[in-house]
Amino acid sequence: MAKVVMKGVSKHFGAVEAVKNFSLTVEDKEFVILLGPSGCGKSTALRMVAGLEHPTEGTIYIGDHKVNRLAPRDRDIAMVFQEYALYPHMTVYKNLAFGLKLRKFSKGEIDQRVRDASKILGMEGLLDRKPRELSGGQRQRVAVGRAIVRKPSVFLFDEPLSNLDAKLRVQMRAELSKLHERLQTTIIYVTHDQVEAMTMGTKIVVMKDGVIQQIGPPLDVYDLPVNLFVAGFIGSPMMNFVPCRIVSKDGRLFLDAKSFELTIPETKARYYKSLVGADVIFGIRPDDIHSRSDGSDHPETGSLRATVDVVEPLGPEIQLYVKVGQHDLIACVGARTSVRVRQEIELVLDLEKMHIFEGDPPNPRVKTDF
Amino acid sequence: MDSKATKCLIYCAIGFVLVVFLFPVVWVALISFKNPVDAFSIPPKWFFTPTLENHIFIWVEKRFLQYLKNSLLVSLCTPIISISVSSMAAYAFSRWRNRISRFSLFFILTFRMVPVILIILPLYVIVQKVGMQDNIFTLMIIYAALNIPFTLWLLRGFFIDIPLALDESAMIDGCTRFGAFWRVVLPSASPGLIAASIFSFGLAWNEYFVALCLTGIRTKLLTVAAAEYRGELIQYWSYSAAAAVGIVLPAVIFMMVVQKYFARGLTFGAVKG
Repeated sequence: MAKVVMKGVSKHFGAVEAVKNFSLTVEDKEFVILLGPSGCGKSTALRMVAGLEHPTEGTIYIGDHKVNRLAPRDRDIAMVFQEYALYPHMTVYKNLAFGLKLRKFSKGEIDQRVRDASKILGMEGLLDRKPRELSGGQRQRVAVGRAIVRKPSVFLFDEPLSNLDAKLRVQMRAELSKLHERLQTTIIYVTHDQVEAMTMGTKIVVMKDGVIQQIGPPLDVYDLPVNLFVAGFIGSPMMNFVPCRIVSKDGRLFLDAKSFELTIPETKARYYKSLVGADVIFGIRPDDIHSRSDGSDHPETGSLRATVDVVEPLGPEIQLYVKVGQHDLIACVGARTSVRVRQEIELVLDLEKMHIFEGDPPNPRVKTDF
Repeated sequence: MDSKATKCLIYCAIGFVLVVFLFPVVWVALISFKNPVDAFSIPPKWFFTPTLENHIFIWVEKRFLQYLKNSLLVSLCTPIISISVSSMAAYAFSRWRNRISRFSLFFILTFRMVPVILIILPLYVIVQKVGMQDNIFTLMIIYAALNIPFTLWLLRGFFIDIPLALDESAMIDGCTRFGAFWRVVLPSASPGLIAASIFSFGLAWNEYFVALCLTGIRTKLLTVAAAEYRGELIQYWSYSAAAAVGIVLPAVIFMMVVQKYFARGLTFGAVKG
C-alpha cells in the first residue's frame, strides 16, 4: 500500500484552469473523498493521479516515486470508472484476468486471484457471462473486482455509483466501506454526492472551481465548515443562510435580519464582538431548527414565529419550508408533528450550532469560533 | 385505408421494385444457359433446352478460372490492407477530435469524391515507372488506397461509439496505447470491421476501370475479361452472359452468408442499449 502526495498540482486545458495549486497528502490506507459539484476539477485531479492526464505544474508521488510522466500501467494503481468500462467482448473471468495476464502472472495465480475476488464480491456464478448479460449492480461489482485482483497500491474510484439506482447505491456504499476495512487499502474516491462522502470517507476534500475549499474528517467538515460554499454543499437539506447585521444593545449582541432579531448566546458572542455593525451571513442547519409543538426535547437558545409554506413528510421526520418575514427557512421537525400549510408556528433554534460568515462575495469565510 | 389493403399495396410495390431490379439479372442468367439462337429470338423463348456450352467455353477454354482466382485474390486482400491502415487512422481520428483532425478527415474524404478517370493516367505512369504493371499487388495497393477514405470514415463512427473509458481502463490494466487499441477497442468494433470489410470486398470485386488500365494477361480480373466479349456476334453476348453469371454468383453467395453481419454492422450503435 502507499501514500499519495500531490504538491502544488495545476492543470490547464487551454485557457481553462481546471485544477489550481492542488496540494493533498493521502496517507497509507486512508479513504479520501474528493467532493464537489460538476466541473470543480475533482475528476481531473484523480485522472492526474492515474496518469490519464499530465499535470501542467506540480508533482505527484505514489509511495516514494515521482510519477508525473509515468504511464498509467507503471503506477501500480487500479481505477473503477463511472461507466464501469468492462471489456464487452470478454467474459467476466477474462475481464478480471486481463490485467494479470498482461503482467505475465501464471495461470494458476490468475485463477486463484480471480476466484478470490469473485468470492469477496459474491459473483462466483457470473464468471462465464459477458458484460451485456449483467445488471448494473453486477457490472459495478465486476469493475471493482477487476481492481481488487491487481492488488494495487492505490485504488481510484471515479463516481462509481452514479449510474446505479438509489437502493443499489445504498447497498454498494456499504459494500465499498466493508471492502476498505477488509483490504486496508489506500483509496481516493471522487463523488458529487455528499451523502456518499459523509458515510464512506475518513477524510473529505471539498473542491470548487479547481480549488480545495476544505480538508477534514466528515464530521469536522459538517460541523465546522470554513466558508459559505462548504456550509451550503455539505448537508441535506442545505444550511439556511440569512443576510443580517450584528448589533449591540445593552451589552448583548443580536442578529438583526430586519424581519426578525435573535440574541446571540453568551458562549458565542465573545467571538463576534469585532463584527458589530458589519453585514454578515447567519447560517443554521435545518436539523438545528425545530417546532416547539413537536414535543421533543431540543436545546433552545432562540425562537422565531414562522408561516408554513410547504410540508414534506419524509418518514423519520418532516421538512418544513417556512417564511419568516421576507426570509425562507427550512426546518426539520418530528415525524408526528401536527402541522399544515399556512399555519403559524413557533420555531426553536439551537444557536450554539449557528455559524456566521463574513467577507466579500462570492464565498464569505466563516468567522471561526474554535 | 385499412391495414390489409395497405400491406397488400406495400407488397405490390416491393414486388414491382424487385422485378425491375432482378429482371435484368435473371434474363442474363437465362441467356447464359441458352444457345445463341434461342437467346436472341423474337419473341423471347421462355421454354428452352438449357445448355452448358457457354459456361464451358468461358470457364474451361478461355481460362476464366484464372481470372476468377485473380479477382478473388485481389478482393480478399484489398480489405485486409485497407482495414489495417484505416482502422488505425480511424482510431486516431476518433480519439483526437479537434479542428485539425476534422479538417484532415474532410481532406481525406474529398479524395473519394475524385472520379477515378481523373487519376488513372498519372497512376499508369507511376506504375510503369516503378515497373509494377501487370502485377497483382499493384491492384491491391491501389484498390486499398481508393477504399481507405470510405472505410476510415465508416470505422471512425464505430470507434467514436466506444467509450474512451475502455481505452483508459486497458491502459491502467497494463496496455500501451496501441495495446488498448489492439486488444480492446478493435475487438469491440468487430461489427464495424466486418461491415467495412464487406464494403471493401464488394468495391474491389466489382471494379473495372483501374483493372482495365493496369492489368495484363497474367493479372486480368473477371470484370475486364467479361467485358472483352462485347461485340457484334450474338455468340459473344452469350459468352458475356456466362461470364456475368460467374461474376455475380460468388458475390451473391457471399452476401447471403454475411448479410446478417453486414446489417448488424451498419446498425451497430444506432439504438442505445
